[in-house]
Amino acid sequence: MLRVDRLSAWYGEAQALREVSMRVDEGEIVTLVGRNGAGKTTLLRCLMGLHGTYGRTTGTVSLFDEDISGLAPHRRARHGLGFVPDDRGVYATLSVEENLLLPPVTKGGQEPWPLKRVYETFPPLRERRRFPGTKLSGGEQQMLALARVLRTGARLLLCDEPTEGLSPLIVQQIGEILREVKAAGVTVLLVEQNVHFAATVADRHYLLAEGRIVESLDNDQVREREHELLEYLGI
Amino acid sequence: MRVTGWGGCLAATGLLLAGCGGGPGGGDEKISDGKVVLAVLNDQSGIYADTSGRQTIEAVKMAVTDFQAKYGDKAASKTIEVKDADHQNKPEIANSKAQELYDRQQADVILDVPTSSAAFAVATIAKNKKKVFIDVGAASTELEGKQCNKYTFHYGYNSYMLAHGTGAEVTKDGSKNWYIVYPDYAFGQDMQKTFSAAIKEAGGTVVASDPTPFPNDNFSTFLLKAPNLDPKPQVIGTMQAGGDLVNLVKQYNEYKLRDKGVGLAVGLLALSDIHSLGSDALAGTRYTDMWYWNADEKSRAWADKFHAKTGKRPTANMAANYSAALQYLEAVQRGGTDNSDEVVKQLEGHKIEDMFARNATIRAQDHLLLHDAYLSEVKPSSEVKEPYDYVKVLKTIPASEAFQPRPDPACRL
Amino acid sequence: MLQQAFNGLVGGAFYALLALGLSVIFGMLGVVNLAHGAFYMLGAFGAFIALDAFGLNFWIALLLVPPLLGVAGIVLERLFIRRLTPLDPLYNFLFTFGLALILQDLVKREYGVSSQPYPRPQELDGTVDLGLFTYPAYQVFVLAVSVLMCVAVWLVLTRTRVGMIVRAATERPELTRGLGIDVGRWVTPVFGFGIALAAFAGVLAAPMRAVNPLMGADLIITVFAVVVIGGLGSVFGSVAAGFAVGLVSALGNLYVPALSQILVFILMAVVLLWRPAGLFGREEAFR
Repeated sequence: MLRVDRLSAWYGEAQALREVSMRVDEGEIVTLVGRNGAGKTTLLRCLMGLHGTYGRTTGTVSLFDEDISGLAPHRRARHGLGFVPDDRGVYATLSVEENLLLPPVTKGGQEPWPLKRVYETFPPLRERRRFPGTKLSGGEQQMLALARVLRTGARLLLCDEPTEGLSPLIVQQIGEILREVKAAGVTVLLVEQNVHFAATVADRHYLLAEGRIVESLDNDQVREREHELLEYLGI
Repeated sequence: MRVTGWGGCLAATGLLLAGCGGGPGGGDEKISDGKVVLAVLNDQSGIYADTSGRQTIEAVKMAVTDFQAKYGDKAASKTIEVKDADHQNKPEIANSKAQELYDRQQADVILDVPTSSAAFAVATIAKNKKKVFIDVGAASTELEGKQCNKYTFHYGYNSYMLAHGTGAEVTKDGSKNWYIVYPDYAFGQDMQKTFSAAIKEAGGTVVASDPTPFPNDNFSTFLLKAPNLDPKPQVIGTMQAGGDLVNLVKQYNEYKLRDKGVGLAVGLLALSDIHSLGSDALAGTRYTDMWYWNADEKSRAWADKFHAKTGKRPTANMAANYSAALQYLEAVQRGGTDNSDEVVKQLEGHKIEDMFARNATIRAQDHLLLHDAYLSEVKPSSEVKEPYDYVKVLKTIPASEAFQPRPDPACRL
Repeated sequence: MLQQAFNGLVGGAFYALLALGLSVIFGMLGVVNLAHGAFYMLGAFGAFIALDAFGLNFWIALLLVPPLLGVAGIVLERLFIRRLTPLDPLYNFLFTFGLALILQDLVKREYGVSSQPYPRPQELDGTVDLGLFTYPAYQVFVLAVSVLMCVAVWLVLTRTRVGMIVRAATERPELTRGLGIDVGRWVTPVFGFGIALAAFAGVLAAPMRAVNPLMGADLIITVFAVVVIGGLGSVFGSVAAGFAVGLVSALGNLYVPALSQILVFILMAVVLLWRPAGLFGREEAFR
């Protein structure tokens, strides 16, 4: 469903992505693995159309065979892209419920989840729906950010390091939520440093180094080379 | 720098070729650069731009025209130019502009210069360059005191005149208790001091006096405080100027302090301020002025000429600059030269009688112009017969009483 | 004393209205609008011109002038500010600063520096008995209208979808676009609204303050201090700080007149030392 073709991006003069080509098929969970500074977050931001304020990009991004490279971020969202930034992007000035209600429902995407279903699936959110978004715990915030995307009916979720800084128990919870997301028919592109976690939730993996995709791995390969990868990633 | 003869002709532009026509031996040999240059240095964009500003330049040009009409071919200088510069009320700008006017623009005299700190700066330049400076716009008495010098004159008004007119007269009239509000900078502080002294001398008391921020748009605190002071002041003396004064008076009227028995006296009030507020807002307010356009036939006639030229009624400051320019040119005429020392000699002790300066003398010891001043009152709109006709003169304060009776011993010319 | 406190709140009303607009604009556009004071001045001049040239009274001016200047603000945003926003923030900083000077000088050229006459509306000429003291009716009106306006803005921001979007876009403009909201579409009306608020304050000021080209320039310095005290981009903070600064400077004038000139800035320095993001600001806003 998502096709990236020779995508390059710059911050001023510094090149951050070098002719990245990749694809994500419908129903998959795909992770991007790589060291800090390898370009993972930049890649997600480019896909969402949020890189434009920092520097230029070349190459094409297409969603369902439609070129979306020239579209503004809010148009891409309406084409079915859902975005969770690395700090989860929960609004402090909005209540939990407002956080959920903020994004518009996308056209012709997945069946959007009504608020009721969100609350049934994630009961802590109902309990705290009047709280400011940032008064939630880290895990609950991640829950909120993912639920927010489900509510829009997005078809492809771009998720930046959902497990960063969370305790193992919460990480496990997030794994469950991601599987739930997948079960709901949403495709996921995940940035992840935790290769172990990645192997438990994802179907395929891309290894990113210095702005290039250097390898494409499946779960078995990741498990086999876990030590080597961990060493490489410097964890 | 004084340039004479051919050098001056070469350095100068085509404008003055006429004056140089005869070469160095021509009729203008006693006139430097072959012309007399009057320079108006004042505030053309800030708070004094409407009381003096560009209109003052027009008044000075009128003086040149009148002078030329009077003397025709017999004029000591055939070419008289008027230049100007904006000092933005800043002493450092006044300093550099004054040097530029004297040196590069060949100014023989600088006129106006409101804002005392700027006036001091110009006085120093005038002294060093031995060029004439006639200040009109600044209020400080130090111009004829500590800061005085041989080439500097103070022409029109000063804080003593304002304080002893308004402060003393209003006190003698029965308003013994004063509450003074003054802006917290040099002018305001100076006014506060001279007013307090004048009020005490006349037997009154200053109940309280408060500095206010400058600029300021909210005077409510001070106005609300006034009627509650003990003893209750009969009059608020405000030393504010320009926009600050307008703010204060608007708010004074909001609190209806006049109805509560607290009158208003204004330290320095210009015609343009009354126009801003509408005369009803100030009706009954007393202040001292150096001139009023509709006071008598002679003033009125000049004000009509000014109106025909500019479409406005002149402020006292504009009239004073006209007079200063005219008297300077008369001094050049009498001495036959624009040489500064000769002009100073011609001005010192000279008696003047023109449409502005009445019963006037330039005191030789301190170069202060002594002339009649006027205790005035703002009329209610029911008595205003034409635009800008806001004031009636209550009393003429004779020249001998209007200003400091003796020169300040601190002044050594 | 109570009367003085009340008078402080009236003064604070102007700070609050101006700080509110400034704060919303800063939050949403990331633009420090240095021309805000000039629009306050234009509001007051709008009232004066309406009366002087068209014979329209205060009430009509109050309804007419703010929307007109709001539209001017919209045009300004469309033509200039939008183009400069992607560049260094310094560009808009300089642009609005230059604009303020140009607007001031244009008015100065036309009307001079001295103040223009503007009467109080007759309906509000009297005084009102507030129980403990009587107070000029017009000032009571100014305070009431300003509080109402602030409350109305607060309700719009907290109770409507538009308000939610504005809050979200103020907090995280980029993310909000990523969530499918066309932030750009809302930036223009918000800018226009902020300008209209400044103009509204200007019309309110015309009957009680000196209407001259510099009235905004003098006031806006204090308003910037207010916004900093309240916390940059915090709407609630700027309103609260507006009234608080009004109160503090009124009481300061009363008890320590010698400090009145700098009191607001002392307050600002103290608040910044204690809470670098301002009273209601979030550190995040500085990321």
